[in-house]
Amino acid sequence: MNRQYFYGLINPFERIAGLEALLWGLAGMVVSTALSYYSGWHYHRLLHFGPAPNPAWWCYAVEHLVVWLIPAALFYLGGLLLSRSRIRMVDVLGTVVFAQLPLIVMNLLNLLPPMQKLAQIDVNMPPATLLQQPGFVVGVWLSLVALVFLIWTLVWMFQALKVSCNLKGYRLGILYCVGIFGGDVLCRYLIKGLCYSM
Amino acid sequence: MKMKQMNNEIKRRLPLQCPACDAPLRVGRMFCEQCDTEVCGTFELPVLAKLTDKEQQFVIDFIKSSGSLKDMAKSMGVSYPTVRNILDDLIDKLNKIE
Repeated sequence: MNRQYFYGLINPFERIAGLEALLWGLAGMVVSTALSYYSGWHYHRLLHFGPAPNPAWWCYAVEHLVVWLIPAALFYLGGLLLSRSRIRMVDVLGTVVFAQLPLIVMNLLNLLPPMQKLAQIDVNMPPATLLQQPGFVVGVWLSLVALVFLIWTLVWMFQALKVSCNLKGYRLGILYCVGIFGGDVLCRYLIKGLCYSM
Repeated sequence: MKMKQMNNEIKRRLPLQCPACDAPLRVGRMFCEQCDTEVCGTFELPVLAKLTDKEQQFVIDFIKSSGSLKDMAKSMGVSYPTVRNILDDLIDKLNKIE
């Protein structure tokens, strides 16, 4: 029982996928967008987060949508090319958005005062001065905790690709790297273009 | 007595590979339990008999659910793509065996 529960934390997609995962994931995305809006932490890319100059609510919504749809599109297109299974778009979209649920905790941590202070600190000051800033050390520790949830999301995104596209071995590894790192770069340009060029 | 009872409970599996050289086994002898008639010869194992117990059970469940992956997913308590992946892996294995 415990082993099954632990496996569910590593790979929930053996039990949940398709429309069910999509609905849970979208509900999570709404919560995550609201938390980001109140904390003021933006998604700069798929793997980069922090403060940004556009405080409009739609900017947070666009960032969340881009960070979901770009890797999902890359996974789907790659899956069509590399997988021998007949993959379904709803599985890819559902599992990828569900995989981003741990980011809610990361966004929740960003609401805490030390993280808010950390966002206002000028990181270009000398290290000794930086360490004396109030809340800096706590902020760094909280960032490390938040990093755990980002890693958790990355693990779930790997499982999302594995289950939704039925890939194994080097095909899985290559497509995952393209989806995550290629997606990270694409998200950067798309978010910049949509939120900061208008 | 207890040992004998335990032996009766052990489910014996059909060996598929030679324990000495790992080559695939063929059927050499069959007999009728009712009249003790024996048939000798060399017979190929049916393709489905070369699958593991778990895989054979999956095939049986698949047929019983009229080939509906959605029903299979529901009865197995897993997601649709998980069942599809098991089926696709099984198709790959059957193609290799054939």
